[in-house]
Amino acid sequence: MQNRRTFIRQSALAAGSLLLGAQAGAAELLVDARSRQLTILHTNDTHSRIDPFPMDGSRNEGQGGVAARAAMINQIRSEAEHVLLLDAGDIFQGTPYFNIYKGEPEVKAMARMGYDACTIGNHDFDGGVDNLALQMKQHGGFSTIVSNYDFAGTAMESVAVPYRIIKKGGLKVGILGVGIELDGLVPANLYGTTRYLDPIQKANEVAGILHAKGCDLVICLSHLGYKYAGNKVSDQQLARETENINLIISGHTHTFLDKPDVLQNKKGQDVVVNQVGWAGLQLGRLDYDFNRQKGQRLISANPLTVTKKTHE
Amino acid sequence: MIFSKYINLLLLLTLSLASCHRAMHPAKLAYHDYKIDAAAPRDSAMMRMLLPYRDSVDKSMNEVLGIAAATLEKKQPSGSLGNFMADAVLDMAAKQFKMPVDFAIINYGGIRSLQLAKGEVTRGKVFELMPFDNLLVLQKLSGDQVQQLFDYLAARGGWPIAGASFVIKNKQATDVLVGGKPLDKNKTYTLANSDYVANGGDDASFLKPIPQINSGYLIRDALLTYIRNLQQQGKPIAEITENRIRNAE
Repeated sequence: MQNRRTFIRQSALAAGSLLLGAQAGAAELLVDARSRQLTILHTNDTHSRIDPFPMDGSRNEGQGGVAARAAMINQIRSEAEHVLLLDAGDIFQGTPYFNIYKGEPEVKAMARMGYDACTIGNHDFDGGVDNLALQMKQHGGFSTIVSNYDFAGTAMESVAVPYRIIKKGGLKVGILGVGIELDGLVPANLYGTTRYLDPIQKANEVAGILHAKGCDLVICLSHLGYKYAGNKVSDQQLARETENINLIISGHTHTFLDKPDVLQNKKGQDVVVNQVGWAGLQLGRLDYDFNRQKGQRLISANPLTVTKKTHE
Repeated sequence: MIFSKYINLLLLLTLSLASCHRAMHPAKLAYHDYKIDAAAPRDSAMMRMLLPYRDSVDKSMNEVLGIAAATLEKKQPSGSLGNFMADAVLDMAAKQFKMPVDFAIINYGGIRSLQLAKGEVTRGKVFELMPFDNLLVLQKLSGDQVQQLFDYLAARGGWPIAGASFVIKNKQATDVLVGGKPLDKNKTYTLANSDYVANGGDDASFLKPIPQINSGYLIRDALLTYIRNLQQQGKPIAEITENRIRNAE
């Protein structure tokens, strides 16, 4: 693995090569000495994939598995100082581990990997809302963030939070979460009296709170889905119809993106959207550099650099 | 356009002067896409923590039930994996409820494996294919309701089906055959369905008012028994590539 310094140099070179020399020079000069770095690692739709896919000749044989993910995360933590580890939901369902243990090893493994927060996917209700609360309470220890489910009167009421602010490396990071419409997707007996609220409206409201509280970065964990053919609410709408959200960690549609999308919000500011497929086959890593310079559009000023990695 | 951006900038500057917080701003972003491949090193502490779970999962899930003659694929509008599952549900529904069943459907999104690999089929593989505790239920549909159901399947790109066939044209079902015969609007048909879809899941709310015959029989148990039955008869799981639902030319 390349170390942080060469990585930054390469990023700067890649950015510079895509800009006019003069602009790149100006950008370099403007970089505040008191800059900050933050590494965001993310997964989505891991679906109880505790073990790697079996060696049976099928498409993903040998890939994934929490032990390999844990080793990769440990490696990254040894190089990057300030790391946030996030998940966009559907932790449960998909292998016999869930049928037998109802989410216990999945949540335990996430706690051990040091996840900071997750949001809730539709399949996280598959053992019922009481089971979800039980697993998170007994084995979690990380935040379950969802801003648009009203859990009043359910066991999740004391577990889920609408947002959380995490201080990391001198930065204030605000995290909110949005979940998908449950009616017609999840059997009603599983989600109980959980009420689904308009995700765009709630995301906007909560992102506004986080902005007002002085967050340097606002992240939305979303299980709405990356994109749909129809007009079903997706992360495309979430990005375009809100403000104050910098990054959307996407889930639900099992979409493998070659690189994160950069969309513009209501105010024309950049919103980065990324999703890493499903089953823990990939781990996304976003390295942010922060400074005090205001008003620039992140991506148009410094094009996103993209690298593909396996392991060492 | 450019002008309005400057206005926004000015506004932002004014607002930031009014606030005492000196926020940092994302200035640069790099993305790494880590693939977790078969050769990736594994964390031994994690392996140890998971060991007791793995041992008991393996004990109950490694039992070999049958053999797949070929790798079956999940595909729309029709595919070999869906054909196999729909055939299994149709066959087992008739046995379980001891009555003739005209056709069966499987919710495409409810098939949770993209493939069933050629070779030994374990209990665990069937759990991964159908992890949900969905029940096999029967519903009696009028000819019109069958047409409505098939239009719904057509609009969704085709779901696995057994005992019936149709062509998708302009997102609707045409040339509908049930049991090899054209749809009869005056007939009542028996459908083998999952309780999830019958209860209006996947936005199939039109099925919700139709009564269900339910004996608490899991679809996964139907699949497990069907595969065991084939094995006892000395038959493998065959690859059936028949296009029961196809798109119009």
